[in-house]
Amino acid sequence: MQQNGDGAQLSDQERLFLGLAEQLSRPLLQIAQLAELAAHDELAAAHERWQTAAAVSHASLQLVESYALSLRVHGKVTPLHLEPVTVSSLLYDTAHHLQPFAKQYDVELQLEPGPRVQPIIADRAVLQSALTSLGQVFVVAQAEADERTPVRLSAHRGRHGMVAGLYGKSTLGAESLRRAQTLYGQARQPLEHLVSGPAAGVFVADSLLRTLAARLHVARYRGLTGLAATLQPSQQLQLV
Amino acid sequence: MHVLLIEPDRLQATALTQALTQAGHSVAQAVSAQAAVARADERQPDVVVLELQLPHHNGVEFLYEFRSYFEWLRIPVVVHSFVPPRELKHAVTLARELGVVQTLYKPQTTLQQLCAAVAHAAAPVAS
Repeated sequence: MQQNGDGAQLSDQERLFLGLAEQLSRPLLQIAQLAELAAHDELAAAHERWQTAAAVSHASLQLVESYALSLRVHGKVTPLHLEPVTVSSLLYDTAHHLQPFAKQYDVELQLEPGPRVQPIIADRAVLQSALTSLGQVFVVAQAEADERTPVRLSAHRGRHGMVAGLYGKSTLGAESLRRAQTLYGQARQPLEHLVSGPAAGVFVADSLLRTLAARLHVARYRGLTGLAATLQPSQQLQLV
Repeated sequence: MHVLLIEPDRLQATALTQALTQAGHSVAQAVSAQAAVARADERQPDVVVLELQLPHHNGVEFLYEFRSYFEWLRIPVVVHSFVPPRELKHAVTLARELGVVQTLYKPQTTLQQLCAAVAHAAAPVAS
């Protein structure tokens, strides 16, 4: 473990993987930009293919960036920015980010900020990255399912706090979460799974949520199964 | 609108130039702070798009020099960088003192969003 002048704490291996994640962002961004430009070309079929390439590249970038963010925050390279967060606006923003990706997979996103959802104190960027990574996993899983049902972004008041997460009729649940959390025991870097695969997205989301003292858990809500995090509502903000 | 694009990555510079041109702007490219000052001397830009990570002098150093010339004081600057906004220690200074109107994080910005930011930066402020 090394500590630099700013108080950052990263092992050599984590430093290596953070560098790798940052390095991977560049070619992915170049591909995404080229694809976005090519989408203006005239051939309709090519246009569609390039739109897909742009959406998929941006989704991969999102995963890599989320992974780098979790390493930075865990390693104290960058501090948490705790602020009041309205859960419904967080869900709206997450859905906005996920929409182009979901469109490519022909998966419908449903937004359901439940009643009496209270504001929380959290790092908005960290939470949004976690939900977006998780959302991509659900979109891909839903697209592979036999039955085409929507993916639902939802928040509601639970027994222990505000429960925010993603739900669907895919097979994502306890097994996916266990596989992702196993990665913690073996190594912190699931790099071979980083670009695709449920374990990587769930791992990254769980890793980000841990920085906020929350963890992913299997949840059921209104007949759907999903993965969610329980977040503590702000006692002070309830009075405002 | 004439855009001064300061971007050291050649592939990205080409893509950004193409997108900005398609959006109806003319573009002057520069790969370093020094080259950027020379390009601005040749033709005054309406908007500057700046990557902060540059060879030799960084983007903040460039901005201090750029703003030291009276005729370039009010030209809006859009930062489009690989530096994560949360790690931008100079964020407040950039906005208040150096006239940065928007900071975009490259991995999370599409070309369309960059073009929209440039159009917005260049739009006259309603009084």
